Amino acid sequence: MLVGIPLEESRSNVTKPKDCADEMAAHLAAVAESRSKTSFAKVFGYFAPRLRSYALKQMGNEALAMELVQDTMSNVWQKAHLFNAEKGSPSTWIFTIARNIRFDMLRKLQNRKEDVCSDDLWPVLCEQTPDANEVSLDEQITLEQVGQLFDVLPDKQRAVIEAIYIDGKSQQEVADELCIPLGTVKSRTRLALQRLKDMLQDYD
Amino acid sequence: MIKLHPTQAQLVEFAEGTLSPAMSLVVAAHCDMCQHCQEKLEVINTQLAESSLVYDVSEQELPGGYSEMLSRITSLPASHIDVPAQQHGIIELDGKTFKLPRALHRYVSKTGNWSHLVGKLWQAPVDLGDMGRANFIYMEKGGRVPEHTHKGNEITLVLDGEFSDGISHYDTGDFMIMTEDHVHAPESNASEGCLVFSIVDQPLHFTSGLARLLNPFSQLFF
Repeated sequence: MLVGIPLEESRSNVTKPKDCADEMAAHLAAVAESRSKTSFAKVFGYFAPRLRSYALKQMGNEALAMELVQDTMSNVWQKAHLFNAEKGSPSTWIFTIARNIRFDMLRKLQNRKEDVCSDDLWPVLCEQTPDANEVSLDEQITLEQVGQLFDVLPDKQRAVIEAIYIDGKSQQEVADELCIPLGTVKSRTRLALQRLKDMLQDYD
Repeated sequence: MIKLHPTQAQLVEFAEGTLSPAMSLVVAAHCDMCQHCQEKLEVINTQLAESSLVYDVSEQELPGGYSEMLSRITSLPASHIDVPAQQHGIIELDGKTFKLPRALHRYVSKTGNWSHLVGKLWQAPVDLGDMGRANFIYMEKGGRVPEHTHKGNEITLVLDGEFSDGISHYDTGDFMIMTEDHVHAPESNASEGCLVFSIVDQPLHFTSGLARLLNPFSQLFF
Protein backbone atom coordinates (compact mmCIF):
# COMPACT_ATOMS: atom_id res chain seq x y z
CA MET A 1 0.00 0.00 0.00
CA LEU A 2 3.01 2.22 -0.46
CA VAL A 3 1.33 4.32 -3.09
CA GLY A 4 -1.97 4.42 -1.28
CA ILE A 5 -3.91 2.35 -3.78
CA PRO A 6 -6.46 0.19 -2.03
CA LEU A 7 -5.56 -3.21 -3.35
CA GLU A 8 -8.91 -4.88 -2.84
CA GLU A 9 -10.73 -2.20 -4.75
CA SER A 10 -8.45 -2.32 -7.75
CA ARG A 11 -8.70 -6.08 -7.74
CA SER A 12 -12.44 -6.12 -7.69
CA ASN A 13 -12.53 -4.42 -11.09
CA VAL A 14 -10.39 -7.09 -12.62
CA THR A 15 -11.79 -10.08 -14.42
CA LYS A 16 -10.03 -13.20 -13.29
CA PRO A 17 -9.06 -15.75 -15.94
CA LYS A 18 -11.53 -18.34 -14.72
CA ASP A 19 -14.41 -15.90 -15.04
CA CYS A 20 -14.05 -15.72 -18.79
CA ALA A 21 -12.67 -19.17 -19.54
CA ASP A 22 -15.65 -20.20 -21.66
CA GLU A 23 -15.56 -17.01 -23.69
CA MET A 24 -11.82 -17.33 -24.34
CA ALA A 25 -12.19 -21.02 -25.19
CA ALA A 26 -14.80 -20.13 -27.79
CA HIS A 27 -12.48 -17.52 -29.30
CA LEU A 28 -9.63 -20.04 -29.46
CA ALA A 29 -11.92 -22.47 -31.26
CA ALA A 30 -12.79 -19.76 -33.78
CA VAL A 31 -9.10 -19.09 -34.36
CA ALA A 32 -8.44 -22.80 -34.86
CA GLU A 33 -11.37 -23.32 -37.22
CA SER A 34 -11.52 -20.17 -39.27
CA ARG A 35 -8.38 -18.17 -38.46
CA SER A 36 -10.64 -15.50 -37.03
CA LYS A 37 -8.57 -12.38 -36.45
CA THR A 38 -11.40 -10.80 -34.50
CA SER A 39 -11.44 -13.68 -32.05
CA PHE A 40 -7.67 -13.70 -31.80
CA ALA A 41 -7.72 -9.97 -31.05
CA LYS A 42 -10.01 -10.68 -28.07
CA VAL A 43 -7.70 -13.38 -26.76
CA PHE A 44 -4.70 -11.16 -27.36
CA GLY A 45 -6.33 -8.14 -25.70
CA TYR A 46 -7.08 -10.16 -22.62
CA PHE A 47 -3.88 -12.17 -22.28
CA ALA A 48 -1.11 -9.98 -23.68
CA PRO A 49 -1.07 -7.51 -20.74
CA ARG A 50 -1.27 -10.38 -18.26
CA LEU A 51 1.55 -12.20 -20.00
CA ARG A 52 3.57 -8.99 -19.94
CA SER A 53 3.16 -8.74 -16.19
CA TYR A 54 4.39 -12.35 -15.83
CA ALA A 55 7.17 -11.81 -18.35
CA LEU A 56 8.49 -8.65 -16.70
CA LYS A 57 8.80 -10.47 -13.38
CA GLN A 58 10.47 -13.46 -14.99
CA MET A 59 12.81 -11.75 -17.43
CA GLY A 60 13.37 -8.47 -15.60
CA ASN A 61 13.89 -6.66 -18.87
CA GLU A 62 11.40 -4.90 -21.12
CA ALA A 63 12.76 -6.20 -24.44
CA LEU A 64 12.95 -9.83 -23.31
CA ALA A 65 9.56 -9.56 -21.69
CA MET A 66 7.99 -8.37 -24.92
CA GLU A 67 9.76 -11.15 -26.84
CA LEU A 68 8.24 -13.65 -24.41
CA VAL A 69 4.78 -12.13 -24.88
CA GLN A 70 5.10 -12.11 -28.65
CA ASP A 71 6.41 -15.69 -28.91
CA THR A 72 3.71 -16.96 -26.59
CA MET A 73 0.89 -15.23 -28.45
CA SER A 74 2.37 -16.30 -31.82
CA ASN A 75 2.11 -19.91 -30.68
CA VAL A 76 -1.45 -19.33 -29.55
CA TRP A 77 -2.28 -17.96 -33.01
CA GLN A 78 -0.49 -20.68 -34.93
CA LYS A 79 -1.36 -23.65 -32.77
CA ALA A 80 -4.83 -22.81 -31.50
CA HIS A 81 -5.96 -26.20 -32.84
CA LEU A 82 -3.91 -27.86 -30.09
CA PHE A 83 -5.97 -26.25 -27.34
CA ASN A 84 -8.30 -28.77 -25.76
CA ALA A 85 -10.95 -27.25 -23.51
CA GLU A 86 -11.51 -30.64 -21.87
CA LYS A 87 -7.96 -30.70 -20.57
CA GLY A 88 -7.89 -27.26 -19.01
CA SER A 89 -8.73 -23.59 -19.26
CA PRO A 90 -7.32 -21.19 -21.86
CA SER A 91 -5.35 -19.39 -19.18
CA THR A 92 -3.69 -22.61 -18.00
CA TRP A 93 -2.82 -23.55 -21.58
CA ILE A 94 -1.39 -20.12 -22.35
CA PHE A 95 0.53 -20.04 -19.08
CA THR A 96 2.18 -23.38 -19.88
CA ILE A 97 3.17 -22.11 -23.33
CA ALA A 98 4.73 -19.01 -21.75
CA ARG A 99 6.49 -21.16 -19.13
CA ASN A 100 7.99 -23.31 -21.90
CA ILE A 101 9.16 -20.33 -23.91
CA ARG A 102 10.63 -18.72 -20.81
CA PHE A 103 12.58 -21.91 -20.09
CA ASP A 104 14.03 -22.04 -23.61
CA MET A 105 14.81 -18.30 -23.61
CA LEU A 106 16.68 -18.51 -20.32
CA ARG A 107 18.68 -21.54 -21.46
CA LYS A 108 19.59 -19.67 -24.62
CA LEU A 109 20.60 -16.56 -22.68
CA GLN A 110 22.90 -18.69 -20.54
CA ASN A 111 24.48 -19.96 -23.74
CA ARG A 112 23.42 -23.45 -22.83
CA LYS A 113 23.40 -25.90 -25.64
CA GLU A 114 19.96 -27.21 -26.34
CA ASP A 115 20.53 -30.47 -24.55
CA VAL A 116 17.08 -30.21 -23.15
CA CYS A 117 14.20 -28.25 -24.57
CA SER A 118 10.86 -27.42 -23.07
CA ASP A 119 8.99 -29.76 -25.41
CA ASP A 120 10.75 -32.72 -23.79
CA LEU A 121 9.80 -31.62 -20.30
CA TRP A 122 6.31 -30.31 -20.94
CA PRO A 123 4.68 -31.54 -24.17
CA VAL A 124 2.24 -28.62 -24.35
CA LEU A 125 2.58 -28.04 -28.07
CA CYS A 126 3.15 -31.56 -29.33
CA GLU A 127 0.76 -32.93 -31.88
CA GLN A 128 1.18 -36.41 -30.51
CA THR A 129 -0.38 -37.43 -27.25
CA PRO A 130 2.04 -39.25 -24.95
CA ASP A 131 0.27 -42.56 -25.59
CA ALA A 132 0.16 -42.30 -29.36
CA ASN A 133 3.41 -44.10 -29.93
CA GLU A 134 2.00 -46.53 -32.41
CA VAL A 135 1.97 -45.11 -35.92
CA SER A 136 -1.36 -45.89 -37.57
CA LEU A 137 -1.60 -47.15 -41.12
CA ASP A 138 -3.04 -43.82 -42.24
CA GLU A 139 -0.12 -41.97 -40.76
CA GLN A 140 2.37 -44.34 -42.36
CA ILE A 141 0.91 -43.61 -45.76
CA THR A 142 0.99 -39.92 -45.03
CA LEU A 143 4.61 -40.10 -43.91
CA GLU A 144 5.45 -42.00 -47.07
CA GLN A 145 3.76 -39.32 -49.13
CA VAL A 146 5.60 -36.66 -47.24
CA GLY A 147 8.82 -38.55 -47.96
CA GLN A 148 8.15 -38.37 -51.70
CA LEU A 149 7.19 -34.74 -51.51
CA PHE A 150 10.40 -34.05 -49.62
CA ASP A 151 12.38 -34.54 -52.80
CA VAL A 152 10.54 -31.69 -54.43
CA LEU A 153 11.63 -29.18 -51.79
CA PRO A 154 14.52 -26.85 -52.57
CA ASP A 155 17.80 -28.32 -51.25
CA LYS A 156 18.23 -25.71 -48.52
CA GLN A 157 14.74 -26.23 -47.13
CA ARG A 158 15.02 -30.01 -47.33
CA ALA A 159 18.29 -30.00 -45.39
CA VAL A 160 16.70 -28.03 -42.57
CA ILE A 161 13.57 -30.19 -42.45
CA GLU A 162 15.56 -33.42 -42.46
CA ALA A 163 17.83 -32.24 -39.67
CA ILE A 164 14.91 -31.18 -37.50
CA TYR A 165 12.24 -33.78 -38.19
CA ILE A 166 14.31 -36.84 -39.02
CA ASP A 167 17.49 -36.39 -37.04
CA GLY A 168 15.56 -34.71 -34.23
CA LYS A 169 17.92 -31.74 -33.96
CA SER A 170 16.90 -28.42 -32.51
CA GLN A 171 16.64 -25.34 -34.70
CA GLN A 172 19.63 -23.86 -32.87
CA GLU A 173 21.74 -26.94 -33.57
CA VAL A 174 20.86 -26.76 -37.24
CA ALA A 175 21.76 -23.06 -37.33
CA ASP A 176 25.14 -23.79 -35.73
CA GLU A 177 25.91 -26.67 -38.08
CA LEU A 178 24.98 -24.83 -41.24
CA CYS A 179 26.49 -21.56 -39.98
CA ILE A 180 23.31 -19.64 -40.72
CA PRO A 181 21.25 -17.42 -38.41
CA LEU A 182 18.53 -19.03 -36.30
CA GLY A 183 15.98 -16.79 -38.01
CA THR A 184 16.92 -18.27 -41.37
CA VAL A 185 16.42 -21.79 -40.04
CA LYS A 186 13.03 -20.77 -38.70
CA SER A 187 11.93 -19.18 -41.96
CA ARG A 188 13.17 -22.13 -44.04
CA THR A 189 11.30 -24.50 -41.74
CA ARG A 190 8.16 -22.43 -42.02
CA LEU A 191 8.38 -22.12 -45.80
CA ALA A 192 9.10 -25.81 -46.24
CA LEU A 193 6.23 -26.88 -43.98
CA GLN A 194 3.88 -24.52 -45.75
CA ARG A 195 5.00 -25.92 -49.07
CA LEU A 196 4.59 -29.50 -47.90
CA LYS A 197 1.15 -28.63 -46.63
CA ASP A 198 0.16 -27.09 -49.95
CA MET A 199 1.50 -30.10 -51.81
CA LEU A 200 -0.36 -32.51 -49.52
CA GLN A 201 -3.60 -30.65 -50.15
CA ASP A 202 -3.01 -30.89 -53.90
CA TYR A 203 -2.24 -34.58 -53.42
CA ASP A 204 -5.64 -35.16 -51.86
CA MET B 1 2.86 -49.97 -8.15
CA ILE B 2 4.48 -46.56 -7.88
CA LYS B 3 5.04 -45.56 -4.27
CA LEU B 4 7.75 -42.94 -4.55
CA HIS B 5 6.87 -39.63 -6.17
CA PRO B 6 8.48 -36.21 -6.40
CA THR B 7 7.42 -33.99 -3.48
CA GLN B 8 4.70 -31.39 -3.89
CA ALA B 9 7.38 -28.68 -3.72
CA GLN B 10 9.39 -30.38 -6.47
CA LEU B 11 6.30 -30.66 -8.66
CA VAL B 12 5.54 -26.96 -8.16
CA GLU B 13 9.10 -25.96 -9.08
CA PHE B 14 8.93 -28.30 -12.07
CA ALA B 15 5.69 -26.66 -13.23
CA GLU B 16 7.16 -23.19 -12.74
CA GLY B 17 10.22 -24.17 -14.75
CA THR B 18 12.52 -23.31 -11.85
CA LEU B 19 13.69 -26.83 -10.98
CA SER B 20 17.17 -27.67 -12.31
CA PRO B 21 17.09 -29.05 -15.87
CA ALA B 22 18.53 -32.44 -14.84
CA MET B 23 15.99 -32.87 -12.06
CA SER B 24 13.23 -31.61 -14.38
CA LEU B 25 14.10 -34.29 -16.89
CA VAL B 26 13.69 -37.09 -14.36
CA VAL B 27 10.50 -35.55 -12.94
CA ALA B 28 9.11 -35.24 -16.48
CA ALA B 29 9.93 -38.89 -17.20
CA HIS B 30 8.30 -39.92 -13.92
CA CYS B 31 5.16 -37.95 -14.77
CA ASP B 32 5.00 -39.71 -18.15
CA MET B 33 4.70 -42.95 -16.17
CA CYS B 34 2.56 -41.67 -13.29
CA GLN B 35 -1.11 -40.73 -13.65
CA HIS B 36 -1.20 -39.56 -10.04
CA CYS B 37 1.48 -36.91 -10.59
CA GLN B 38 -0.02 -35.89 -13.94
CA GLU B 39 -3.25 -35.06 -12.15
CA LYS B 40 -1.39 -33.12 -9.47
CA LEU B 41 0.44 -31.19 -12.17
CA GLU B 42 -2.81 -30.17 -13.82
CA VAL B 43 -4.00 -28.64 -10.56
CA ILE B 44 -0.65 -26.92 -10.01
CA ASN B 45 -0.62 -25.53 -13.56
CA THR B 46 -4.09 -24.08 -13.06
CA GLN B 47 -3.05 -22.45 -9.80
CA LEU B 48 0.15 -21.08 -11.31
CA ALA B 49 -1.75 -19.68 -14.28
CA GLU B 50 -4.12 -17.88 -11.93
CA SER B 51 -1.38 -16.42 -9.78
CA SER B 52 0.97 -15.58 -12.67
CA LEU B 53 -1.33 -14.10 -15.31
CA VAL B 54 -2.62 -11.20 -13.25
CA TYR B 55 -3.82 -7.91 -14.55
CA ASP B 56 -1.65 -5.06 -13.38
CA VAL B 57 -3.43 -1.72 -13.69
CA SER B 58 -0.15 0.16 -14.06
CA GLU B 59 0.72 -1.93 -17.13
CA GLN B 60 -2.48 -1.08 -18.92
CA GLU B 61 -0.86 1.31 -21.38
CA LEU B 62 1.36 -0.54 -23.74
CA PRO B 63 4.66 0.98 -24.73
CA GLY B 64 5.29 0.60 -28.43
CA GLY B 65 1.67 -0.38 -28.79
CA TYR B 66 0.24 -3.87 -28.81
CA SER B 67 -1.53 -3.31 -32.09
CA GLU B 68 1.69 -3.60 -34.03
CA MET B 69 2.49 -6.88 -32.28
CA LEU B 70 -1.03 -8.10 -32.91
CA SER B 71 -0.86 -7.47 -36.64
CA ARG B 72 2.59 -9.02 -36.85
CA ILE B 73 1.29 -12.19 -35.22
CA THR B 74 -1.88 -12.51 -37.28
CA SER B 75 0.17 -12.27 -40.47
CA LEU B 76 1.85 -15.56 -39.51
CA PRO B 77 0.50 -18.69 -41.16
CA ALA B 78 -1.14 -21.40 -39.09
CA SER B 79 1.05 -24.41 -38.52
CA HIS B 80 -1.09 -27.44 -39.05
CA ILE B 81 1.55 -29.84 -40.19
CA ASP B 82 3.87 -30.83 -37.45
CA VAL B 83 5.54 -33.95 -38.78
CA PRO B 84 6.44 -35.78 -35.59
CA ALA B 85 10.14 -36.30 -35.17
CA GLN B 86 11.16 -39.87 -35.81
CA GLN B 87 12.24 -40.82 -32.33
CA HIS B 88 11.30 -44.34 -31.46
CA GLY B 89 12.29 -44.14 -27.80
CA ILE B 90 13.54 -47.69 -27.52
CA ILE B 91 16.83 -48.88 -26.11
CA GLU B 92 18.21 -52.38 -26.42
CA LEU B 93 20.48 -54.54 -24.36
CA ASP B 94 21.40 -58.09 -25.16
CA GLY B 95 18.29 -58.78 -27.21
CA LYS B 96 15.96 -57.13 -24.70
CA THR B 97 14.17 -53.94 -25.71
CA PHE B 98 12.89 -51.25 -23.39
CA LYS B 99 10.36 -48.57 -24.27
CA LEU B 100 11.37 -45.33 -22.62
CA PRO B 101 9.04 -42.66 -21.24
CA ARG B 102 8.47 -39.81 -23.71
CA ALA B 103 10.71 -37.29 -21.93
CA LEU B 104 13.74 -39.53 -22.48
CA HIS B 105 13.19 -40.25 -26.19
CA ARG B 106 15.55 -37.52 -27.30
CA TYR B 107 18.38 -39.12 -25.34
CA VAL B 108 18.33 -42.46 -27.13
CA SER B 109 20.61 -40.98 -29.78
CA LYS B 110 22.88 -39.58 -27.06
CA THR B 111 23.31 -42.89 -25.31
CA GLY B 112 26.70 -44.59 -25.58
CA ASN B 113 27.39 -48.31 -25.78
CA TRP B 114 26.60 -50.65 -22.97
CA SER B 115 29.58 -51.70 -20.93
CA HIS B 116 29.69 -54.61 -18.57
CA LEU B 117 30.62 -53.55 -15.06
CA VAL B 118 31.30 -55.77 -12.10
CA GLY B 119 29.00 -58.71 -11.51
CA LYS B 120 25.72 -58.63 -13.38
CA LEU B 121 25.69 -54.92 -13.91
CA TRP B 122 25.52 -53.07 -17.22
CA GLN B 123 25.81 -49.38 -17.84
CA ALA B 124 25.30 -47.08 -20.82
CA PRO B 125 26.31 -43.42 -20.44
CA VAL B 126 24.00 -40.65 -21.66
CA ASP B 127 25.41 -37.33 -22.74
CA LEU B 128 23.32 -34.57 -21.20
CA GLY B 129 25.67 -31.75 -22.23
CA ASP B 130 25.86 -29.08 -19.58
CA MET B 131 23.20 -30.77 -17.46
CA GLY B 132 25.69 -33.43 -16.45
CA ARG B 133 26.09 -37.08 -17.08
CA ALA B 134 23.44 -39.72 -16.75
CA ASN B 135 23.42 -43.48 -17.11
CA PHE B 136 21.06 -46.21 -17.97
CA ILE B 137 21.94 -48.96 -15.52
CA TYR B 138 20.71 -52.49 -15.95
CA MET B 139 20.93 -55.04 -13.17
CA GLU B 140 20.44 -58.63 -14.19
CA LYS B 141 18.59 -60.82 -11.71
CA GLY B 142 20.84 -61.13 -8.69
CA GLY B 143 22.95 -58.18 -9.83
CA ARG B 144 24.14 -55.78 -7.17
CA VAL B 145 26.14 -52.59 -6.81
CA PRO B 146 28.66 -52.60 -3.91
CA GLU B 147 27.54 -50.59 -0.92
CA HIS B 148 28.19 -46.93 -1.52
CA THR B 149 27.22 -43.42 -0.59
CA HIS B 150 27.17 -40.37 -2.85
CA LYS B 151 29.06 -37.17 -3.09
CA GLY B 152 26.24 -35.04 -4.39
CA ASN B 153 22.78 -36.19 -5.38
CA GLU B 154 21.72 -39.25 -7.29
CA ILE B 155 18.33 -38.89 -8.95
CA THR B 156 16.96 -42.22 -10.11
CA LEU B 157 13.87 -43.38 -11.94
CA VAL B 158 13.01 -47.07 -12.21
CA LEU B 159 12.10 -47.67 -15.86
CA ASP B 160 11.46 -51.39 -15.83
CA GLY B 161 11.51 -54.12 -13.18
CA GLU B 162 12.25 -53.59 -9.51
CA PHE B 163 15.11 -53.59 -7.05
CA SER B 164 15.96 -53.24 -3.38
CA ASP B 165 18.83 -51.44 -1.73
CA GLY B 166 18.76 -52.31 1.96
CA ILE B 167 16.69 -49.19 2.66
CA SER B 168 13.62 -49.78 0.60
CA HIS B 169 12.06 -51.64 -2.28
CA TYR B 170 11.62 -49.84 -5.58
CA ASP B 171 9.14 -50.61 -8.34
CA THR B 172 8.72 -49.48 -11.95
CA GLY B 173 8.03 -45.74 -12.06
CA ASP B 174 9.44 -45.00 -8.59
CA PHE B 175 11.32 -41.71 -8.31
CA MET B 176 14.05 -41.24 -5.73
CA ILE B 177 16.81 -38.89 -4.73
CA MET B 178 19.80 -40.26 -2.86
CA THR B 179 22.03 -37.78 -1.05
CA GLU B 180 25.30 -37.95 0.84
CA ASP B 181 23.33 -39.16 3.85
CA HIS B 182 22.31 -42.40 2.19
CA VAL B 183 24.48 -45.47 2.20
CA HIS B 184 22.95 -48.14 0.02
CA ALA B 185 23.66 -51.30 -1.91
CA PRO B 186 21.19 -51.73 -4.77
CA GLU B 187 20.30 -55.29 -5.69
CA SER B 188 17.83 -56.75 -8.16
CA ASN B 189 15.91 -59.93 -7.64
CA ALA B 190 13.24 -59.33 -10.25
CA SER B 191 13.04 -62.20 -12.70
CA GLU B 192 13.66 -59.90 -15.64
CA GLY B 193 16.26 -57.73 -13.97
CA CYS B 194 15.86 -54.02 -13.59
CA LEU B 195 16.54 -50.95 -15.72
CA VAL B 196 16.97 -47.54 -14.13
CA PHE B 197 17.83 -44.07 -15.40
CA SER B 198 20.11 -42.26 -13.04
CA ILE B 199 21.72 -38.84 -12.92
CA VAL B 200 24.57 -38.37 -10.46
CA ASP B 201 25.97 -34.92 -10.11
CA GLN B 202 29.13 -36.24 -8.45
CA PRO B 203 30.83 -39.65 -8.32
CA LEU B 204 29.77 -42.44 -6.00
CA HIS B 205 31.85 -43.10 -2.93
CA PHE B 206 32.22 -46.75 -1.98
CA THR B 207 32.15 -47.50 1.71
CA SER B 208 32.59 -51.21 2.23
CA GLY B 209 35.32 -53.81 1.98
CA LEU B 210 37.16 -54.42 -1.25
CA ALA B 211 34.76 -52.12 -3.03
CA ARG B 212 36.69 -49.26 -1.47
CA LEU B 213 39.36 -50.12 -4.00
CA LEU B 214 36.91 -49.02 -6.64
CA ASN B 215 36.89 -45.45 -5.35
CA PRO B 216 39.64 -44.26 -7.68
CA PHE B 217 37.63 -45.71 -10.54
CA SER B 218 34.32 -44.43 -9.36
CA GLN B 219 34.06 -42.18 -12.37
CA LEU B 220 33.06 -45.42 -14.10
CA PHE B 221 29.83 -45.21 -12.19
CA PHE B 222 29.40 -41.52 -12.73
